[in-house]
Amino acid sequence: MSSLGVTLPAAARSILSSCRSSIREATIVPAFPAFRQVRGMGSNPQAKGKGKKAAAKTSRRGPQEFRQKSLKDMEQFALCDAMRYIRALEVGRNPTSVKYEAHIRLRTRKDGPVIRNMIRFPHAVQTESRICVICPPDSKQAKDALAAGAVLVGEEEVFEAVKAGIIEFDRCLAHPDSVPALNKAGLGRILGPRGLMPSAKAGTVVEDVASRVEDLRGGTVYRERDAVIRLPIGQLGFSPEQLRDNLRTTIEQIKKDASGLNDRINKEIYEVVLSSSNGPGFSLNGEFKTDASPETSALTGV
Amino acid sequence: MVNLFKRMRKLKTMLDIRVGTGAAILPSVANASKEFPAVTRLHLTYAQKIYGADNRAGPPPALTIYFADRIGSTATAIAGAKKITDKHAPAPANGEKMATVNIKDLTYQEIWNRVQASTGAEEIPVSEEDKAEAQKFEDMNTKAVKDRERIQAKRQAKKDQERMLAEARGEVEKLQAA
Repeated sequence: MSSLGVTLPAAARSILSSCRSSIREATIVPAFPAFRQVRGMGSNPQAKGKGKKAAAKTSRRGPQEFRQKSLKDMEQFALCDAMRYIRALEVGRNPTSVKYEAHIRLRTRKDGPVIRNMIRFPHAVQTESRICVICPPDSKQAKDALAAGAVLVGEEEVFEAVKAGIIEFDRCLAHPDSVPALNKAGLGRILGPRGLMPSAKAGTVVEDVASRVEDLRGGTVYRERDAVIRLPIGQLGFSPEQLRDNLRTTIEQIKKDASGLNDRINKEIYEVVLSSSNGPGFSLNGEFKTDASPETSALTGV
Repeated sequence: MVNLFKRMRKLKTMLDIRVGTGAAILPSVANASKEFPAVTRLHLTYAQKIYGADNRAGPPPALTIYFADRIGSTATAIAGAKKITDKHAPAPANGEKMATVNIKDLTYQEIWNRVQASTGAEEIPVSEEDKAEAQKFEDMNTKAVKDRERIQAKRQAKKDQERMLAEARGEVEKLQAA
């Protein structure tokens, strides 16, 4: 009854409650039909109270989706124009460390799954990252991981090093066989805050460690936070064509991620913003260049 | 999520890059003349920190202009007035000629005048719309200062009131305890 009381309109509710009361009065209180009837008619106070509470609850929780305003008034740029401004704004910074960043804003619910994945760009953005693999030493996986370029492989010696405070890697993977040992070692307290603790959710507990290592070495990990995915997509020296390729790959993969999540979850890209390490964000309009933009060769190099 | 208006305003400050002082078109290979050859790159050496009015700590500030194949007479005259060499500037590549301008104790307008004279750069004309927009942001900034003061005063008054109340309550409690 309570759920019905919330969802049904008042008229239907009064009909329903009058039906019920008439049944009841037949069985329990046959002597006071009129009294019962009156109480039923003047809408159920209990249900009314419930309805109010539910309404208050939704308003307190706020909207279910992240509010994304209309971009009608937002000035948007072609890729080349945005790059031109960013390059001008990054003058005087260390050109090797400055990166182009993409902020992909999504239209999505506040709850529900988020996109997290990794991507391999056609043009590598990051310099090599050091990877640690936790798997039984002397196993086949250990050999493969070393061959794929992991810097630290093993179980006990890795735990010892981490406990001693020596963390000389940027990524950490684990083989499922080693997970019990890993949990027993109690490294979550040390690795967790650094985001290095392997977990199946983050995709860092995998059977095929070696291929993952290869992926990671050229890949960038990204995740959705508050309806935005932020990731570096290029070095400052990249040509507009290189950046376009990277951006296109990113957007395609994110679309794929979004469609692969769940049938009922609807995520769509709402705005793509190009930014840089120190620059402001430029909303992109999806075009490559305009008539006023300079030659692509002028936007290349540092 | 950042407010769209805030984002727009931050973006619009780059108007200065587009039409401010020094926004100019340098001669390129296509429209180079004998007097003003094409400019390939610029290099600026400056101290990262300024200690006091005269900057003795860092290297002497210098702006090096790289020309494609030759140096015009104006550039030579300006650069040659006080010969300096900038050891931080990269060596000229094949065929490049460089002229170093001593920019010590010059304002940015003076520096720009020199650069413009020696390269023959054409300043970008400021359109009416850009002027109006610059004016709008100028007005916004002046209004922001006023508003900030007003809000600051309001908040301070509220804080003072609360502090006084708290003090009064404390005294009452003291009296009761005594």
